[in-house]
Amino acid sequence: MCGIAGFASKTGAPARIGRTLLAMLSALECRGPDSAGVAIWSGRRAGDERGRWVARIKLGDGLSEAEASRRAQQVLGVAESLLPVRDVERTGDSVRLALDGEVDLDSFERAVEGVAPDVEVVSLGQSLEVAKQVGSPQKLDDSFDVRGMKGTHGLGHTRLSTESRIDLSHSQPFWAHGLADVASVHNGHITNYHRLRRIYEGQGVRFYTGNDSEVIGIYLRDRLGQGDSFEEALHRAQHDFDGSYCFLAATPDEFALVKDGFGFKPLIVAETSDWVAIATEEVALRAALGEGFETREPPARTVQIWPTMQAAHV
Amino acid sequence: MEIEARELSVREVNQAIQAAIAHGESEITVREPAARHNLGVALIEPVHVRFDGSVGYYCGGLIDRARITIRGSAGWGVGESKLGGDILVHGGAGNGAGAAMRGGTLVIKGSASARAGVSMKGGTLIIGGDCGYMTGFMAQKGTIIVCGDGGEALADSMYETEIFVGGDIPDLGNDAVVSEPSESDLLMLSSTCSAHEMEPRGEWKKVVSGRELWNFKKGSLAWREAL
Repeated sequence: MCGIAGFASKTGAPARIGRTLLAMLSALECRGPDSAGVAIWSGRRAGDERGRWVARIKLGDGLSEAEASRRAQQVLGVAESLLPVRDVERTGDSVRLALDGEVDLDSFERAVEGVAPDVEVVSLGQSLEVAKQVGSPQKLDDSFDVRGMKGTHGLGHTRLSTESRIDLSHSQPFWAHGLADVASVHNGHITNYHRLRRIYEGQGVRFYTGNDSEVIGIYLRDRLGQGDSFEEALHRAQHDFDGSYCFLAATPDEFALVKDGFGFKPLIVAETSDWVAIATEEVALRAALGEGFETREPPARTVQIWPTMQAAHV
Repeated sequence: MEIEARELSVREVNQAIQAAIAHGESEITVREPAARHNLGVALIEPVHVRFDGSVGYYCGGLIDRARITIRGSAGWGVGESKLGGDILVHGGAGNGAGAAMRGGTLVIKGSASARAGVSMKGGTLIIGGDCGYMTGFMAQKGTIIVCGDGGEALADSMYETEIFVGGDIPDLGNDAVVSEPSESDLLMLSSTCSAHEMEPRGEWKKVVSGRELWNFKKGSLAWREAL
């Protein structure tokens, strides 16, 4: 099953993002009781506040409080050896680092993840932050104060695990590892995942999970690296992915939805002059945003992209 | 009478509707359905239930004789397997509108998404806007009227259902053929559309099964393509 949600503001009010996504996820909880997560773009541009990065890091699975604390120190030590760390915030098995300076994403990931096999950089970007964990949307909010998160746009996900493990790494949203500020949420089953995975592993790409949804970010990183625009990459994905999917993907500047060619999975869109909101079920839109707007279901095979508020400030 | 649905569970809303009907109410309005699923299912009395807002999946499924009005959009499976009765959706409908319906009417003022009228067994499905991927897939009997454009793979693998399209037909499904509407078809279309205050976008086209897939034929091109 799974439930996905997305929200992009057109007019500001950055405080709205966390609250709105949380309300949508709470309404979608029955579709995905295993895990919950959000990806929020703060609106910080690559140009302003040069060299401000945020890394969200999973310290490990099932760590005791003492182990988590120790791991956090180790991770902090590694990070500090690479660039200045401005702020540290630990929440259970996760830590959030605010960093200053230029970051080589692959080197940073390799170094931090070298601390232990179950350490993972969950997101790394100048605008994007991913907060996710096993449990309900309410628990996610209790852990990470989702309702306090601010930004220009965001994605959310509630997970019903179908073919892979239930843990933090396997939950969504998925950051596109190695590609700053790009994340996706997916409902469905990409049936040529194993074939795509073999191809990418042959090129040396690391997969962190056995979850087919992870391949979306890996595919986008590959296509963008080959010179595709975000739009071209999404159209190509719609053509190349087999199976059932509605997925949402975003960069700092663009917010997009993609539907498979058979219309296997539901996705409802609502748009006003103030915002765009997308969710697997209309209940989520009504719970978060009330009445007073119409909704539509995009046809099968739709690829649709909206510019975000960050794009507007070019 | 009115039912305020906001604080009620789906089960409580449906129980309230049933209780109202048992009390002899014939005009029931449900306020703030908030797009929840499975509302107004299996209503078999000749009452009118109006939902003031969008509904979720399977609204009006398994009904007979009842009349349902949805003043918003409907999610997947609106009116699925209904025996009779009438449903009117003011907005659009999700996948599988009227799936396996057996009788009565289902009117969607907006557009319908994929697989509208899938496996339909009777009755009339009327769509004011466009219809989605594989509309009429494996539909057996009954009539589908689309005032706007057909979607991809229209009328794929159909049986005796007839589809009338007022707009464009950009793509046909397996074994679907376009034919001329008869005089009585055109009369039916004209009176049905005016009864529901709808208009075709252009000239009516009729889409029916080519009947090549009803029985296996070894050399048939249709079979080679379909398989």
